[in-house]
Amino acid sequence: MAKRINISIDNKTIETEAGENLLQVALDAGIDIPHLCYHKKLSPTGACRMCSVKIDDQKGLVMACTLKAEDGMKVTAFDDEIETARKHTLEYLLSEYNSKTDGTYHDEVMELARHYGIDTEEKRSIPNIHSMIETRVDDSSPVLAYDASKCIKCFRCIKACDEVQGKNVLSYADRGLTSYIVAGNGIWADSECDGCGECVQLCPTGALIEIPHRNEINLNEIDKKIITTCPYCGVGCQIELSVNDNKILRSDGVEGILPNDGRLCVKGRFGYDFVDSDERLTHPLIKENGNFRKASWDEALNLIAEKFSGIKNAFGGDALAGYASAKCTNEDNYIFQKFVRMAFGTNNLDYCTRLCHASTVTAMLKSIGDGAGSNSIEDFETTDCLFVTGNNIIETHPVTATYVKAGARKGQKIIVCDPKWTPLVKHADLWLQQRLGTDVALLNGIIRQIIKDNDYNKAFIEKRVDGGMKAFEELKTLVEKYTPEYTEEITRVPAENIIQAARMYARAETAMIATGMGMSQQTSGTNNVFSLINMMLITGQIGRERCGIDPPRGQNNVQGATDVGVSPVVFPGYIPIDDESNRKRIASLWNTDFDALPGEKGLTTVEIMHEAHNGKIKGMYIMGENPMVTDPDLNHTAEALEKLDFLVVQDIFHTETTPYADVILPAASFAEKDGTFVNSDRRVLRVRKAVESPGEAREDWKITHEIAARMGADLGTYQSASDIFDEIAQAAPIMKGISYDRIEHQGIQWPCPDKNHPGTSTLFLDKFNTESGKAKLNPVDHTEPSEQADGDHPFILNSGRILYQYHSATMSRKNGSLNAFANESYVLMNPVDADNHKFRTGDKVILKNKRGELITNLRVSGEVAIGELFMPWHYSESLVNKLTRAELDPYSKIAPFKLSAVSIEKDA
Amino acid sequence: MRLKSGIALIISGPNPKTSAMQHTQIVLKNCDNIRPESFLDYRETGGMNAFKDALSMDPEKVLKEINRAGLRGRGGAGFPAGLKGKYTDESICRYCGQKYIICNADEGEPGTFKDRVIMEKNPHLFIEGMMIAAWAIGATKGYIYIRAEYTQSIQRIETALDNFYSYGWLGEKLDKSKNFSLDIELRLGAGSYLCGEELTLIESLEGKRGYPRIKPPFPAQHGLWLQPTLVHNVETFAHMPYIIRWGAESYRSIGTEKSPGTKIFSVSGDVNKPGNYETEMGISLRELIDVAGGMKDDVPLKTAVIGGAAGSFINSDQMDVSLCFDGMKKIDAVLGSGAVMILNETRDPVDFLAWILEFFKHESCGKCIPCRVGTAQLALMAQEIAGADDKSALLDKMVAEAEYIAENALCPLGASPIIPLSSFNNNVKHLI
Repeated sequence: MAKRINISIDNKTIETEAGENLLQVALDAGIDIPHLCYHKKLSPTGACRMCSVKIDDQKGLVMACTLKAEDGMKVTAFDDEIETARKHTLEYLLSEYNSKTDGTYHDEVMELARHYGIDTEEKRSIPNIHSMIETRVDDSSPVLAYDASKCIKCFRCIKACDEVQGKNVLSYADRGLTSYIVAGNGIWADSECDGCGECVQLCPTGALIEIPHRNEINLNEIDKKIITTCPYCGVGCQIELSVNDNKILRSDGVEGILPNDGRLCVKGRFGYDFVDSDERLTHPLIKENGNFRKASWDEALNLIAEKFSGIKNAFGGDALAGYASAKCTNEDNYIFQKFVRMAFGTNNLDYCTRLCHASTVTAMLKSIGDGAGSNSIEDFETTDCLFVTGNNIIETHPVTATYVKAGARKGQKIIVCDPKWTPLVKHADLWLQQRLGTDVALLNGIIRQIIKDNDYNKAFIEKRVDGGMKAFEELKTLVEKYTPEYTEEITRVPAENIIQAARMYARAETAMIATGMGMSQQTSGTNNVFSLINMMLITGQIGRERCGIDPPRGQNNVQGATDVGVSPVVFPGYIPIDDESNRKRIASLWNTDFDALPGEKGLTTVEIMHEAHNGKIKGMYIMGENPMVTDPDLNHTAEALEKLDFLVVQDIFHTETTPYADVILPAASFAEKDGTFVNSDRRVLRVRKAVESPGEAREDWKITHEIAARMGADLGTYQSASDIFDEIAQAAPIMKGISYDRIEHQGIQWPCPDKNHPGTSTLFLDKFNTESGKAKLNPVDHTEPSEQADGDHPFILNSGRILYQYHSATMSRKNGSLNAFANESYVLMNPVDADNHKFRTGDKVILKNKRGELITNLRVSGEVAIGELFMPWHYSESLVNKLTRAELDPYSKIAPFKLSAVSIEKDA
Repeated sequence: MRLKSGIALIISGPNPKTSAMQHTQIVLKNCDNIRPESFLDYRETGGMNAFKDALSMDPEKVLKEINRAGLRGRGGAGFPAGLKGKYTDESICRYCGQKYIICNADEGEPGTFKDRVIMEKNPHLFIEGMMIAAWAIGATKGYIYIRAEYTQSIQRIETALDNFYSYGWLGEKLDKSKNFSLDIELRLGAGSYLCGEELTLIESLEGKRGYPRIKPPFPAQHGLWLQPTLVHNVETFAHMPYIIRWGAESYRSIGTEKSPGTKIFSVSGDVNKPGNYETEMGISLRELIDVAGGMKDDVPLKTAVIGGAAGSFINSDQMDVSLCFDGMKKIDAVLGSGAVMILNETRDPVDFLAWILEFFKHESCGKCIPCRVGTAQLALMAQEIAGADDKSALLDKMVAEAEYIAENALCPLGASPIIPLSSFNNNVKHLI
């Protein structure tokens, strides 16, 4: 804690901390010292020379932004001499500055010019020197444009790109009066700029502006600005939507609050156009003779209630199933799980999490008692060592990655485990490129080395691990054979890298793990994460601040949906279904009978599809999910959906799944409702309505509620989403102390047991969430993946995501901005393989195996290892899941999306 | 203290040496007697004796001696070298972290070519000075930052560094008990005047574009890679062996009280023998011109510009000015780098002034508004002087702008235009 001190500015005494930036101290105290190049998110620059002040009795002007507050400092911020100098500087700036505006941006220079009464040329005495500067505009980027004539060379954009986003794309070219900003080597579109827009947000003038809607937006004509949560990934960035005439025209990052402090990625900043798309579903649609026709809500809802009730009465509740939505709000999902349990009368209730972090959550629940990340986003910057495995964090969780990059700049050690190169490797100290499917071996090898080096934490094991040193000995025995050489043989990772990784992780003061799909989406997914946790437990890198395990969540509300009860095996708050006293409590809360609530565990996502295929499940209600892209073994999935007697799909667009529906219901997007999401660090975040839904589209929970009513189930009475959340808080003890009024300004992280609790930033500080309060070791052995490359299928296909598109692309592909960056399917092949097979970049290729086939475009790339391929799975014209299989991890029931044996040949 | 009359040894150019006062030479003393690439020649003329002396002294004492000698920076600013060293030394203890020593060989000030002759003719000398200073402050890594255009100097320095390494003076643990060793690398600039300014030089050395840093922090505390760093000009380092070898008193017996020692003046323009002349500090301009062979074709002096582009215009009435830091200050002028550009009666001072202001505009990095816009505005105004009705009023206006720029700009380049402008206004305006 820095010392509290007193300084005076213009005879006003201000209390602050020693070492604080003097300009910031003044601004915080309401003393508006003029400034242009300074921004609180960036290191001070001292370029504009506007924030001049006088210190103590010293002669001469100094810049407030370059000084730190010292006890007893006497500052003069405003007097004639200083104001004259400032006005002079501003006149100088105005002589080179193009003040012509199109109204699409906030102009900080002209704001100051008006304040000093020199906003037009007649009021100034310094002659205009525009002729000395070449006009230069770069609008090659799909999303932003740079105009040098409006640039005041304040360095903000460069620092935004370097210091905040860690991308280092921007610099100056030329020198002096004629200097200008360039991206990469000079053409913005050819640079590494990924469109995050941090530079545009921080630019004080119109030098950098957003291209989308620039002809429509006028800052003086904005109807409203609504702060809400981004609908894409699980970081949960807070965005402010500018709306005019019921249309979203801009999305800005909200500064000063967690989790993102104003940072966004290209999707959060430019991916909102899907809301206004012409392709939005606007009316209920009923299938008749193979075609869809419009229907009224009454007709559709009645039909649905009749059909579902029919199946329930004839075959029982377990012949029905529901897929909830990781994209919908907690309120939508809570009502949905209530629906499936009360109206359907079954626990056949799941969603896409089963395709995603199922293994992670299963392993974490079994060993430490909580499946959610143990730390907070800021910890990604301050932890001493970050172990990233199976997570392309820069592309899939870009804003979390900005914290990681900031940490790396300060000396944080980064270890990356990934069979494929990812951009984080550039910032990493070590990259372990293991063979696909050998994660357990790699981790056991690391564990063995940690033990051999005596780097394990005996005190922690004795105090906080079940079975203490005895359990440790069991682990030690199992990993004994995983010598560096043996491990290298299995994984192809050089022995010295294994040793280095062990030391780097174990010897770090604090260390965090980020684990993603690479680990989870395998038939050994749960075992993979068990070994990861074993490594973490024996080194004691958990249960302290900046230590732990954090699975970055892929969807905006994949965390929240399970939190509020969407699960075949737990109720809201992760309380198991077979906990009778809880079921009693829930029944009472829901005004229903204990016996009416189904007590048997239900089926998981892929199991549901299996049972649909063999006819046991006859009716499904799918909300905001697209199994015809996301489920494994798509040909099999298609058959399953076709076999259903009755299928309802509720969504905002037609998708690859809607054609299989009997009824399609139009729903509200994230921007058309109030509610909450929960992000990767357990933060409950507000979602706020910004625009009206198109046509007759309705809020998801209201639709579900209405179907229930027509099936004779009363899901409760709610005047607003806030009412629903209040009930959630009662159902889920982890959220007991959270309510809308408490999260108005910034979200709260669960567990939050009461109204005065501030929320929990780090888990397991005292104990683990297991029965004994201690964590469990789960020693596991390496097993070869059940599907291997063979003569017919010599390649292993890996799949994953890219920055610019999002999951099944139902939302992302409806945005011109995102499509301009990437809109084409491809498969990556190692140059050696390409050479041997005589493939070249651009070749059209067919990938095939027992489950199906697809056509895509080949790209030769060193990012993948020999014998391995990689495809992004977003593109519906080349559905990767046609090739994946539905053989499941025995514990988590997840399918191995990361590993499919395929053949590849040129498409004639 | 009475200074000895103008003594000089002509170094470059075709003329013979005057043997009379060789002993007052410090830097260029053996320049024409030795082979610049030969380390043995350097040793034979006394090279490395000073560094050996320094190694046997307490580093504190070495610093004290340089301080006592009153050595002032020869790059242009004239800051006391001993103080700079003291601050860097005190920054952190010598065992607590990396310290750096940097030689500024960028020599970008127009009209200045004195470092070049040191580097071409006796490169071992200034490097020995670097080594002494490194020992004094505990720096174990050094860089010589040289302008890329000085190809001959670059070759000579590379050879000199090779010599130091192969003879075991660099890269080796020199003082076993105190664990001191020094590594020096040569790095090239890329054509920016501003990279000769110490903070910008450091940025460039770190691989970045040449923009000056904000102060604080100062290089003594946070310089290269934010570590304590001592930066000195080539000529400054070249004085240090003499001071350690012969002592502060001996050094002080040369030159003036406030500007002890010698100075290499780069004389160019309308003289018979333009070139580098090392004389005692305090020589008058009149005497210096004599040493440089007198005015060319006997055409009288109209104005001399002392110190470079960031230098002062003085007129023929001021030729008895004492060329040292304080002597120039007395007439509201600067000594700067010691460049002496002589313009005779056939020259147009306005043209020269306009060229100077165009130079600043060209070299302004563009980071801060006052300099970026100001140097452009001044260059524009300079073009108008010739045709102006009221030249005096225009010049007064330019001086006012230059004052504003100096007061508000970020770095010494911004503080420069006022120097030629105010001296022009004071001393030359009446001549145009």
